[in-house]
Amino acid sequence: MTSFSIKRVNAIFVKDWKDLQRNSYVLFTLALPLFFAAWLGRIGEDSAEMIAFPIVFALVIAGAFVQAAMVAEEKEKNTLRGLLLSPASVTEVFVGKSLLSGIMTVAVVTGCIWLAEFKVPSLPLFALSIVIALVLFLAIGTLLGLLSRTVMETSIIGMPVMLIFGMSSMFKSMITNETILTVLDYLPNELLMKIWSGLESGSFVGESFLILTVWALVSVAATVVVYRKRRMD
Amino acid sequence: MMEQIIEVNNLVKSFGDKPALKNVDFCVRKGETIGFLGPSGSGKTTTIKILTAQLAATAGDVRVFGEPAHLLKDPARMKKIGILTDNSGLYDRLTVQDNLALYADLYGVRKERIREVLAMVNLLGEERTPVKKLSKGMKQRVTLARAILHKPALLFLDEPTSALDPTTTKQIHEGLRELNREGTTIFLTTHDMDEAEALCDRVAFLHDGEIKLFDTPQNLRTMSGSPTISLLLKDKTTVTVEPDESGAAAIAGYMASGNLLTIHSNEPTLGDLFVQLTGRNL
Ligand SMILES: Nc1ncnc2c1ncn2[C@@H]1O[C@H](COP(=O)(O)OP(=O)(O)OP(=O)(O)O)[C@@H](O)[C@H]1O
Ligand SMILES: [Mg+2]
Repeated sequence: MTSFSIKRVNAIFVKDWKDLQRNSYVLFTLALPLFFAAWLGRIGEDSAEMIAFPIVFALVIAGAFVQAAMVAEEKEKNTLRGLLLSPASVTEVFVGKSLLSGIMTVAVVTGCIWLAEFKVPSLPLFALSIVIALVLFLAIGTLLGLLSRTVMETSIIGMPVMLIFGMSSMFKSMITNETILTVLDYLPNELLMKIWSGLESGSFVGESFLILTVWALVSVAATVVVYRKRRMD
Repeated sequence: MMEQIIEVNNLVKSFGDKPALKNVDFCVRKGETIGFLGPSGSGKTTTIKILTAQLAATAGDVRVFGEPAHLLKDPARMKKIGILTDNSGLYDRLTVQDNLALYADLYGVRKERIREVLAMVNLLGEERTPVKKLSKGMKQRVTLARAILHKPALLFLDEPTSALDPTTTKQIHEGLRELNREGTTIFLTTHDMDEAEALCDRVAFLHDGEIKLFDTPQNLRTMSGSPTISLLLKDKTTVTVEPDESGAAAIAGYMASGNLLTIHSNEPTLGDLFVQLTGRNL
């Protein structure tokens, strides 16, 4: 654990990249948000919420789901065990993987922005919000992958996560309970929407950034704790 | 004194209250090839998992390269170890070449070495085949190639030839002997007596989580009683004699009368000894 090797991280990244190109499940999952964004672009939707939605969807699907599937598959096919019996450390394996999922997610998010004709407000801060969200969703994806035994299981365990973190704004209008509505306001997707609309209107977004960062840190910590507990399986 | 690569003292492993290994003691010296022979469920894989820090021992002292096995996870030390187990998978969608290239990078081995190991496991020409299109035996050979890519100082093999045909098995054995000559210490498990005899300097009989015997194949064979001699006569009857004076006299008699067709010595096998010892077949 003492040494961290960029060369080994790169080896994992290259392997995952080659594998991704032949993994139809992952490729299809990555394409979903793009189809959705293209459809929104076609129908000329221009409510800010609707247009921001495919970007959140892309973060959840590409960040969390793809990462979860990749981690779970390494466990399901016993390839993770092989890696851990080599000089590669757990950190190197997960960093290599997250790097690839991260790059793919950024590509999909960019594609969604373009297809849905979303106008990016204040690029540096917008990019920062995407990076924080990326850390959050990659950690959640890794966590889901660690908790599932198979790739199939990730989509089952992942469903509630997607509903809550990805689509809560969709069914917000159906909820009347004040407490639930307040809780929903603190969900990452709501925070992201708030940040983006704030950036556009020029209102204060510091608090939302802060809460989002706390989310990211807590989920990274949770992932590390779960991994430590499950190491000797 | 020769350098000890593996030292195991009073090793106990239980799964819940079910004992898998009971008080196992042994040492492996540098340059040896050691075989653990035993029927299914005797604890062979469990032993390898503990030696490679995939499982924690319930009790006892386990040292690899002079240090406690559970401290193994350090890149510098993992580079000295190679492992073939049925649970260290390959990437199905990747080609043979890409699977090995990953490990070449992780071990810091030059890519030309991939051709060398593929030649050893007789898979040259399959570089571009995706692993999912290989047969079981071919996959096992790719996993073996991966385990020896970095010429480890210590190689663990869990039933390395269980899915292979006799010709390929022979070729793999030759490759393993070559690796051993170059200095690799080998710890292998097998169900196969012939494999143990062909490769191992010393063999341990494992039964119900205990080492029943641990010795060279020659010593083990003499332990299982002296060989007998079978004579096939012209009238197609078989006579069995002891290799002593009376046997010699009998053989001389048959030869003088021109009755003898063939002489055959019945060496006791390790398999016979195992059955004598445990009342169980391998
Ligand atoms: N993870 C585990 N949980 C519970 N029991 C286990 C576990 N792994 C092994 N065992 C038990 O430990 C004993 C030894 O198993 P082990 O896999 O070491 O046998 P083996 O000699 O390798 O057999 P085989 O020749 O079939 O591979 C068996 O009784 C098995 O049921
Ligand atoms: Mg076994």
